[in-house]
Amino acid sequence: MSATRSEEVQTGTTIVAIEFDGGVVLGSDSRVTARDSVVNRVMNKLVALHPKIYCALSGSAADAQALAELTSYQLQLHSLEIEEEPRVGAAATLAKNTSYRYRDELSVNLIVAGWDRRGGGQVFSTLSGALLRQPFVVGGSGSTYVYGFVDTAYRPGMSREECQQFVLNTLALAMNRDGSSGGVAYLVTIDQSGAQEKVVLGNDLPAFFDK
Amino acid sequence: MSIMSYNGGAVMAMRGKNCVAIASDRRFGIQAQMVTTDFEKLFPMGERLFIGLAGLATDVQTVSQRLKFRLNLYELKEGRQIKPKTFMSMVSNLLYERRFGPYYIEPVIAGLDPKTFEPFICSLDLIGCPMVTEDFVVSGTCSEQMYGMCESLWEPDLEPEDLFETISQAMLNALDRDALSGMGVVVHVIEKDKITKRSLKARMD
Repeated sequence: MSATRSEEVQTGTTIVAIEFDGGVVLGSDSRVTARDSVVNRVMNKLVALHPKIYCALSGSAADAQALAELTSYQLQLHSLEIEEEPRVGAAATLAKNTSYRYRDELSVNLIVAGWDRRGGGQVFSTLSGALLRQPFVVGGSGSTYVYGFVDTAYRPGMSREECQQFVLNTLALAMNRDGSSGGVAYLVTIDQSGAQEKVVLGNDLPAFFDK
Repeated sequence: MSIMSYNGGAVMAMRGKNCVAIASDRRFGIQAQMVTTDFEKLFPMGERLFIGLAGLATDVQTVSQRLKFRLNLYELKEGRQIKPKTFMSMVSNLLYERRFGPYYIEPVIAGLDPKTFEPFICSLDLIGCPMVTEDFVVSGTCSEQMYGMCESLWEPDLEPEDLFETISQAMLNALDRDALSGMGVVVHVIEKDKITKRSLKARMD
């Protein structure tokens, strides 16, 4: 991954995505920083590539937005060509291809997650231009603080509500520890019937020990 | 990497009618990571005198301890409490002694004269240049944000209760725009006959 450029606007960030039987839950914080200054405290980093496929942005704000828009365009074109709803894997592959080709210029990590008819709920990580399907993924600068938590809290076969709580807990912990993450938590739950977006404000987030 | 923004932090002081208020955030972090949320940056230096230190955390602790040492000797020799203006000169002297290898802190001082109870606030830079103002002083990684908040919210001759509200809002909203400060706010309001210490409920991100 290329190094952080000096005054560039970073999305700092904590992003999470997790699969459940029948769908996925994506979550993100809402802080955008330029060095130490918070330039946006309510940015939604969960972007729709397609009605039932979302991606979570992290890294350089400009790179992430550009990659998401390009991938969204390519996905729409692909969907018209195959005359079908696109697969989540296809969206992830498109994001990965651009991410890999320009890996020396871009500083971005996109988590792609959604629902399709053939595979159900799927989560893909496209870190550094690789493509990996995983039951859950965390990303962004805040993710380093919650690897221990997610590894302990995750159990296979969690329900939709348990997954939503898992995402909220992960975000709350990371937002507390990481200076570059904070604000509100955005959640998107995607299943066969579509995507539901939700905002959880700061004071409604789960609280853990912090004296 | 800037030394002054390695740990982050913010302090400010405001002058009111026969009172002063001083406030600080509570975060101790190492660059982006928060380590604790109960780090003291305000230190009593007399019955009605406080100093707030923002900057490198190790120097915050060292300078407050060394300053207290000098202050204790002063009080023993003089047999009385130090005046805020004299204390400012003591701080200035301590910092300038390290002119070419400074302590990485920028203090603010707030207090009432021990005899006349005249309110006093000032700030200094890291090598001891003092600046006395009539309204407010700020210091820390979000000083620009704090200047903006203070300039818009402050007005002269605020009563203690109103001064508390003003300094609280100025701190809370300035801290929300800084990734390296926050995790709680402590406010001390110093009046002639009492000091009110309050902890604000703040965003913990």
